[in-house]
Order: sequence, then structure tokens, then C-alpha cells
Amino acid sequence: MTTRYSTRFFTLTGALLLLATLLLIHAGRQRVTDRPLLRKSAELVRILELTDLCLFTEASYTRHLALADLRTPFQEYPLALEHFPSGSLASPPPHLTESHAPHH
Amino acid sequence: MPHTIEKQRHIIDFTLASLLRRRGKNGALFTVYTLIVFILASVMFFTYALKEEAAQVLKGAPEIVVQRSLQGRYAPIPLEYAAKIRGIRGVMAVRPRLWGYYYDSVFLANYTIMTAESIPLPPGSIAIGHGISRMRRAYEGDTISFTGVDGKARNFTIAKILPQESQLLSADLILMNEDEYREFSGLPPGLASDLTLKVRNPKELTTIAEKIVKALPDSRPIIRNEILRTYDALFSWRGGLLIIIMSAAVLAFVIFAWDKASGLSAEEKKEIGILKAVGWETSDILFMKFWEGMTVSLTSFLAGTILAYGHIFFTSAALFAPVLKGWSVLYPVFRLTPFINPGQIATLFFLTVVPYTVTTIIPSWRAATIDPDSVLRS
Amino acid sequence: MIKVTQISKVYNAGRPNEFTAVREVSLTVNLGEVTVLKGPSGSGKTTLLGMLGCMVRPTSGRISLSHREITSLPERFLTQIRRETFGFIFQQFNLIKGLTALENVMAPAYPTGEKFATLRSRALETLALFNLAHKAAAKVEWLSGGEAQRVAIARALINNPAIIIADEPTAHLDTKLSHEFMAIIRQLKDDGKTILIASHDPIVYDSELMTSRIELRDGSVVTAGSLP
Repeated sequence: MTTRYSTRFFTLTGALLLLATLLLIHAGRQRVTDRPLLRKSAELVRILELTDLCLFTEASYTRHLALADLRTPFQEYPLALEHFPSGSLASPPPHLTESHAPHH
Repeated sequence: MPHTIEKQRHIIDFTLASLLRRRGKNGALFTVYTLIVFILASVMFFTYALKEEAAQVLKGAPEIVVQRSLQGRYAPIPLEYAAKIRGIRGVMAVRPRLWGYYYDSVFLANYTIMTAESIPLPPGSIAIGHGISRMRRAYEGDTISFTGVDGKARNFTIAKILPQESQLLSADLILMNEDEYREFSGLPPGLASDLTLKVRNPKELTTIAEKIVKALPDSRPIIRNEILRTYDALFSWRGGLLIIIMSAAVLAFVIFAWDKASGLSAEEKKEIGILKAVGWETSDILFMKFWEGMTVSLTSFLAGTILAYGHIFFTSAALFAPVLKGWSVLYPVFRLTPFINPGQIATLFFLTVVPYTVTTIIPSWRAATIDPDSVLRS
Repeated sequence: MIKVTQISKVYNAGRPNEFTAVREVSLTVNLGEVTVLKGPSGSGKTTLLGMLGCMVRPTSGRISLSHREITSLPERFLTQIRRETFGFIFQQFNLIKGLTALENVMAPAYPTGEKFATLRSRALETLALFNLAHKAAAKVEWLSGGEAQRVAIARALINNPAIIIADEPTAHLDTKLSHEFMAIIRQLKDDGKTILIASHDPIVYDSELMTSRIELRDGSVVTAGSLP
């Protein structure tokens, strides 16, 4: 006798839920395992006084996102109007157009 | 109660048997659905984990970085500025940073060169990031040559490779001694790239930044919170590439919904009539349609999410890597820590499973209430 | 016992295409009887059958089933009565394509929530009754006309109804299969089922199985009465 469709559905869904739960457990354990590594990275940031992640190295304003100024894009290779895709993944820092200068 | 469950199971049996009649169509539907969830969940997992990691490691970033702007672009900052800033109440320490870029015309890659007092290096030695070491196949003890400001090549001994685990921060870094860096880059004494500040009370950061601009109008302070916000804004859904992914997903869902909402075929209507004639209630028909939406969307959602987790955290986002690398020659190879936001998963669930199920039920509402005698009269 | 009093059915009421399918019909069907509704197509047989089987609500008049007034019952109860009391055999068989014979036979019992194993074995037994046990797993579109009808009959019987309603059951059958169908009706009659058949096929209405005959024309009863 073949298995009922509903049984197969529940088995599949149950298996997927179990797998998802196992992955959640994996995530939790990995976070604990990675804690010292993250602490080491944070320490590196502290001693080297770093300000940015090294995600995109093709342009200064994508390498040091937080330090980008309003003009840096003009300093790049003239034909590189936009560094796609990095430029589309990273938006200009929110503080780019703000100023700490007193408001008038 | 047991017979209520058995009844729902019967309806599921019937629904699945009906769905399996169009194996090709429904199989394709399941595949496309899973793929959409996979892409969306991958983006979600990746961006959240990266942002969370950025937030955790950049906690230690300088409290304030002061830059100087000249002719509308950054310029080295005179060390006298440091003395002035030190005089501002609340500032505990001011340190000059020396750093800049180096373009490697052989490998067509950009490096970041910094000085680091905290990592002592013997004269003529440098420390390099793991990314440079990997790309140039240069290891501890090797000699590496860079062209200085005067056009002459200089040899450096690699004293240290920065740890592999910190690639996300240091893949492209070169650490050098200060006097060697000034000689190499041509930065005159008395100037620094920018200044970093330590502040007594973190609540005063904004006030201090305002005071700095007032005292030195050509300076631009960036406070730590702004650095963190920069990385929080990374991969925002409005960003070019992400909006394309999102729109593609939304469009796919609109097509699904269209297919469902464009109504039932005459065949489906007839089947509903038959079921009603043989004793199915309106609610049973709606349950059938509910399960039709639910079985497809729930399994697709789970499968897509699970695959996305594997993609991001086991294969280190292998499919996204080309996009992230972009035009960079030098890029970090990193494994993200699986930070997961349950709220995001819930949102994804409610944005995929619920609308799909609803668009499956709604069009059958009318058909479910048709008179069973339509079967007799056909 | 089904007793109908002065029932009428008007379709598209108030619109230009309004028409009266059944006009003030009163009749009584006793349990255990085999009744044939005879009349040309368009005479209102199917509509009357639909009303007797709780599928269609009459526009006016009353229907009572075993002395219980059912015309005013809400849809849910009507569906329940339909499921428990009536088994339907349709002119076009109306099997659900793509599903197996077994799944088709089981479908009317799904809303009852009967245990799967018992339901399945009952369905297989019913199919075996009509020599279809070996076709249980076959998709209905692969069955011959006669087999398809026997599956349809098996489906009508799955909820063990007291009353079987058949609308033009022989319209798509050849003479030999029509006689086979009548043999099944005999079997059902012997089992004590009440049977209502609408037909204008002499094989059906002239059969000696019939205990009463109602003749319809233009929605009204022409003659009605027990047969010898």
C-alpha cells in the first residue's frame, strides 16, 4: 500500500522543520565558537584604529566608506562613473551631507 | 476532534493528488517559488550577518576621527591641529594617524598602507594582510618591493602576516614604521593623514565635534556612531542591486498571484461543483484551496530558507562572491558568523506564504459557493 | 419518505430570460420504491431530481424528508443531509479526471473524517462489488464507459445512502451496458435502497423494476402513479 499524500507532506514538512531547527542550533553554537574571533577582530580595530571593513578595494570611497567625502568619486579613473556593483551595494554614509558645524 | 484532523488529512490527500496531476506545472511553480525564497533569504542572511559583524568589530573604532578638507578634498592635517583639539574640554587624547593608498601596477590592486605603533616592526620590515599575501604569494620572511613617491623601488621584509580570521578588516593592509612611511609616501613631518580622539564622556561626542569645527573650520570630525551607521546602511533595500533583486521577487509573486487570481478554469469550477454535489461543504472547498496554497508555499519557504542558510554560512555566499568582488582585484575571503534575525525570517514568511495562500483561496470563494446543481445542468 | 408540496423552480427570476423549470409539483416517494421520472428533455426532470436530492432549493413549495421540513434549512445542514441520505449518479458520470478510481470513490466520504484505513477498505470493497478491484489505482480517464459508470455508482454508494438518485444514467451507454446498469439497479433495489431515476430511455422506464412512474411535460406532472 502506498503512503498517503498527507503523510508524505507531513513527513517532508517535519523533516524540513527539523533541518531548520538543527541549523538554528548550528547558528547558536557557531556564534559561541566565533566569539573569540570577533573579539580578536574588535581588538585589531582598536589597536590599529581602523574605521572600515575591507569589503570593496577598487575605490577609496568604497574601501573607506565611513571616511568618504563628497568629492572622492571624482578622483577615480575618469571612465569609472560608478563602480558597479559595489557602488550599488554601498550607499554613501548617512553623515556625508551632515555637518557638525553650527547651524545658521 | 480526531475526526476533524482526519478530515483535514483527507482534504490534504485530495489536494495533493489534484496538484500532482499537473506535475510539470506545479513542479516548476515549486522550483521558482523556492528559488525566490532562496534569493531573498540569502540576501537577508548575508546582509544581517555582515551588518551585525560590522557592528560588533567596529565597536572599537576611534571615537572621533578628524579630517581636514582643502580645495574640496581631503588633505593631510597639520599636527598643530592636534594641539588645539587637545585643549578642548573633554578630549582625553589625540593621536595622529598615518595612512594612505598604494596602487600595485603589476597586480592592478589597491592596498591600504598604515602605520601602527602598537605592532612593533624591525627596520625595513612590514606586516601585510592575508589578502595581499594570498594574491602575491608572499609569506613571512619574503622580500617584497614597492615603488615610493620618488619612483624608486624599495624592498621590505615581511615580518608578519595579519591573521586570516580578520581578513574582513585587514585583507589589503600594509603596516609600516612611521619614519619609513613618511619617506616612502612623501608625507612631510608635521603632517598626518587624520587625527583620532579619545573622549572622557561618550555622551559629549557631538558637543566636542561641534567645538572642533568651530575652532578649526576646515576640519571634519566623524564620530564613531556615524561609522557604525554607515555599515548599518550598507545593503539597504534601496541600494541599486538589491532593489533589482527585490523587484524581481515582487514581480514573480505578482505573476503567481495573477495566475491564481485570474480565476479558476472551467475544469476547476466543474470539479468544485462535483465535490459540492457529492457532499462537500463550502468550507471544505475553501480548506482544499487553503491547503493547495499552504502545501506549495510552506514547503517552498522552508526549502528556500534552508538552502539560503547553507549558501551563506556553509559556502560563504559562493553565489554572491562575484558581485561582492566587483572590480576589486584584492578581496577578503571570509566566513560570516551566523547572526540571524528571527524577525526577518518571520517577515519573509508573512510576505511569501501568506499572500500566496490568500491569492489561492480568494478566487475560489465564488466558485465554492456555487450551487451544486450546476453539475446537473451542465 | 420524500414528500413535496407545490414546489416550483424559476431560473433567472425577474430577468428577460426567466423561465420556470418546474411548476407546482406535488408528489410522494416512498422508501424502498424505484421511481422513474419520464419525459422529454427540457421537461424539468433534472431540476425536480435536483430538488428532491437537496441540491437545488425550490423557488416556492415545501419538501419534507422523513417528515422533516428541509426547504428552510441552512446550506450546511442541507449538505450534510445530501451527503448522508443521497447518492448521486450523473449523466456525464462527473468523475474527477486525473485521480484514481479509488480516490474518486472515497471523495464523498472525506468531509465525514472517517478513519483512512476503514474508508479505504470500504471503498475497495465497493469497487470489488462491481468487479473493479483491479482498477482501483487506475486513473478514471483510462476506464471504459461501463467501468467509469460503475465507478460513479460505487462513489454514489460510499456513504451508504438510503436513496440513490440517477439522472439519465444510460444516456451515454450502449444497449448492452444499459442492461448491465439495470442489473445493478436490481441489486440495489434488493438491498432495500430507494431509487429515483430520470430517464427517457425505454430500457429504463419500461423496466419491470420500476414500482412507480411520474411523467413530466413542461415542468408539470402529466401522470403519476404506481406500476403493477
